[in-house]
Amino acid sequence: MNFLTPLFLLGGLAIAGPILYHLVRRTTRERLPFSSLMFLVPSPPKLSSRKRVEHWLLLLLRCAALALLALGFARPFLRQTPIVDPTSAQPKRIALLIDTSASMRRDGLWAAARSRVEDVLRRAGPSDQVALYPFDRQATALVSFEDWNRAAPGERVSLALGRLGAVNPGWSGTHLGAALVTAAEALGENEDGRAAPGPRQIVLVSDLQAGSRLEALQAYEWPKGIELLLEPVAARPPGNAGVQLVADGPDSTRAVDAPVRVRVSNSADATREKFQLGWTAESAAAGPGWIGAPIDAYVPPGQSRVFALPVPKSGPVPDRIRLEGDEVAFDNVAYVIPPVQQRARVLWIGADVAEDARQPLFFLRRAFAETPRVSVQVLANAPDAPLSPEDLAASPLAFVTDAIPAAKAAALRAALEAGRTVVFAPRSAAAAPTLGQLAGREGVALAEVKPSNYAMLAEIDFQHPLFAPFADPRFSDFTKIHFWQYRRLDPAALPGSRVIARFDSGAPALLELAVGQGRLYVLASGWHPDDSQLGVSSKFVPLVWSLLEQSGGVASFATQYAVGDRIVLPAGLNPASVALPGGATSPLASGAGDFAGADQPGVYSLSGGLRPQRFAVNLDANESRTAPLSSDDLEQMGVPIARPGTEVAATAESKTLLQGVEAEGRQKLWRWFIVATLAVLLFETALAGWTARRAALRTEEVAT
Amino acid sequence: MVATSATTALASAKLIDPQALMTIRSLELRARAVVEGFWSGMHRSPYHGFSVEFTEYRQYTPGDDPRYLDWRVFARSDRYFIKKYEDETNLRVHLLVDQSRSMDYGSRGYTKLAYAATLASTLAYFLHLQGDAVGLLTFDEKVREYLPARHRAGHLRQLMLSLERPASGQATDLVAPLERITALIRKRGLVALISDFLAPLDRLEKNLIAITAGGHEVVVFHLADPAELNLGLGAATMLQDVESARTLYIDPAVARPGYTQKFEAHAAALQAICRKLGVSYHRLVTSDPLELALFGFLQERMRRGRQFRRAGSAGEGGRA
Repeated sequence: MNFLTPLFLLGGLAIAGPILYHLVRRTTRERLPFSSLMFLVPSPPKLSSRKRVEHWLLLLLRCAALALLALGFARPFLRQTPIVDPTSAQPKRIALLIDTSASMRRDGLWAAARSRVEDVLRRAGPSDQVALYPFDRQATALVSFEDWNRAAPGERVSLALGRLGAVNPGWSGTHLGAALVTAAEALGENEDGRAAPGPRQIVLVSDLQAGSRLEALQAYEWPKGIELLLEPVAARPPGNAGVQLVADGPDSTRAVDAPVRVRVSNSADATREKFQLGWTAESAAAGPGWIGAPIDAYVPPGQSRVFALPVPKSGPVPDRIRLEGDEVAFDNVAYVIPPVQQRARVLWIGADVAEDARQPLFFLRRAFAETPRVSVQVLANAPDAPLSPEDLAASPLAFVTDAIPAAKAAALRAALEAGRTVVFAPRSAAAAPTLGQLAGREGVALAEVKPSNYAMLAEIDFQHPLFAPFADPRFSDFTKIHFWQYRRLDPAALPGSRVIARFDSGAPALLELAVGQGRLYVLASGWHPDDSQLGVSSKFVPLVWSLLEQSGGVASFATQYAVGDRIVLPAGLNPASVALPGGATSPLASGAGDFAGADQPGVYSLSGGLRPQRFAVNLDANESRTAPLSSDDLEQMGVPIARPGTEVAATAESKTLLQGVEAEGRQKLWRWFIVATLAVLLFETALAGWTARRAALRTEEVAT
Repeated sequence: MVATSATTALASAKLIDPQALMTIRSLELRARAVVEGFWSGMHRSPYHGFSVEFTEYRQYTPGDDPRYLDWRVFARSDRYFIKKYEDETNLRVHLLVDQSRSMDYGSRGYTKLAYAATLASTLAYFLHLQGDAVGLLTFDEKVREYLPARHRAGHLRQLMLSLERPASGQATDLVAPLERITALIRKRGLVALISDFLAPLDRLEKNLIAITAGGHEVVVFHLADPAELNLGLGAATMLQDVESARTLYIDPAVARPGYTQKFEAHAAALQAICRKLGVSYHRLVTSDPLELALFGFLQERMRRGRQFRRAGSAGEGGRA
């Protein structure tokens, strides 16, 4: 017989109690007072043993009751050889995370990781549930628990390995925290939404590089009962150096031919510290192929340095910087799209003279001053002068301030329908027919309004892209801009139009009308001093640039991205497809706002829009930090780490314990011991009562 | 002659069983029952009184106080007689009652102490009826209470109250009360010592000498429980000394011969001391009726009284 809680057997020592009690009671009970013992000598106690025998049974019963109670509490069970039933063990749920980030591209890592995964899969019992989650920026289920359960027990491992065979490390960064959270949540819930019983474990097969991002764990309360088993794979040549672009800020105004700054970081376990850095051609596999002179880079292990790499003066501007001297190649190329000054044309059709400071054109030219990024050319065209179709085609944005001939208006309307943007800002009500022609409506009338004091912009739709930059309360005050006169336009005359801003009188101040693919904006007042203070206000320049951007004339488009980033396509460009670095093309849906297929580093180009646009996608800079991540970092985030060695040692011991618990739970021998205790106690009570009565009767007899 | 007639009267009277007597709660009632039953037995006798009550006339001799002359006798007989009666009957009796723990033992439903208290109160009541002054001294290992000998209305009740106190103390010391009584009693009188004498006797003799030398008459009542006489116990038990709480394992069958021998030796030693000093010794077993004790006491007194008178008439000059 075995005991689950053998310490309770010590309670059996309590049988000393009744024995003592019997002895003590014997001496006290039979004491008789006598007047004096001065004439007495003690007699030898020769009859005492015979007396004790009478209470032996009671004593034995009491001892037996205590012993039985102690045995019952010690939870006895009979050890039986357990029937080998592999399904009897409590099923374990394992979420297997396998790292597919760029750092896993290092030599031998992926093969090692796959063999580790295979080990884990083969170790799993038939009742265990395993889900396989490859992860880089996010974890996606390759084999979910449902897939695993659905497959026949014999085919599960091959199913998982078969699916894993199609997976290769990508180029993304390692968002380990997010992957752990995904796996923990998958483990936390059963298929029917309830908490799953049995042990739960996450097995992480990864190179555990220091650049793994753990931020997602900070705000996550790790669920109880889930532990993480690390299965690290180590790269054979330790150490790695990487090159990353030092990103310019979005507002930086770096000159086009300024040197490009790159950071070279060398991991702490690196063996090399001397590298070469330079521009290379596209065919990187055939050797360095430097364009221009490379520079020597000396970076001690564990440090990172920033180098300024001058752009080659002659020849086309290359788009990649290569780090030579590092054996681990995956992060040795940085792709650079040098900033290009965008050129845009704006058509001005109006009767005013350019250099008259009281006329609108004067203000427009100064608003479109040249910047390092954008150079805007304003083409002034008199209302009566002929308009060349080339000029019209090259200008995405046109301003019209006066009445123009019908033929010219028709050409403008055709351009509008083709996707251009026209801003109609009439200087007098006489331009109303031109508005009618541009809008394609008859009977559009304008009326001059001269408020007694001045008018202000009252209702502005800040949701509109035009005014979106002013949506911040710091910039949304337009009341400082006074309008001395404006032209009243009935919006009902232009069906489908949308009033973006109104004057305080309620009359529309800015109105938008979609014409074909293009847009017609009607500004009810001019910005020159005769009409208003708009031209000299701080809002004017952002507003006209906003108009230019909306027209697609310029694009505020970032050219540097990391792998996996969602690339927001420039507004108004309407590209049809993306040329991928490998030469393939990915078509874009019309009107798609972003592109999510940037899954490898390289130079991408958008084509099919108004003009071609290139952008560079680089590796996540953190991927270059390949020094091993300490498991303490994970534990600091609250993730309990299972030690593989202790687990094996503990399992043998805990297995026997578990078997004991199980056998005890099945047999429940303690119940019989308690029943026996009660029976013995009942018998003891009856016997003691009978003995006491008999003794009382005897004493009465003696007394009488 | 008187004694014989008294014995006959006592035998014909119905004696009260002490066990029945002890069921009476009040000590005074108990004493009254004994004494009055005794009186009723006495009335059949032509004898009226005893020594202290006996009227004695003595011829006047010059030097006697003429106050004590009995003028009526002189008138009848024309002779001078001195009436010595009153002076002699004002007997002072001191009852010394042991109230130690050993007295608190009894095998017959009442303790030796109860018996002793009844005996003392019976004596006191009897003597009080005769007009004698009765005093009381109770003791255990030290003197507990002392009531001087008086003959007053409430004195008897106070005395009974003292006797009803329960036993206390851890030991019996016979020396201290005797020393104390020697110091306290100036006038000669009778000292009745009621105890079980379960204590060493070595210094008792000396103190008894001191008392008798003071002219006091001493009566010793040696009380014993029937169980104490023959170790009347049933089975072998642990015996506990009621005074010292000492326990001994005793098998009566084995211990009895030695015990009775020692007990009788002790009693004999006490008796020898008494005889040597002229102290009257009465052994009372608590199963005996109290009247017997009273009668024995009186008989002894009468005998002594005669001796005394004879001695007194032989040498009259020493008496005041």
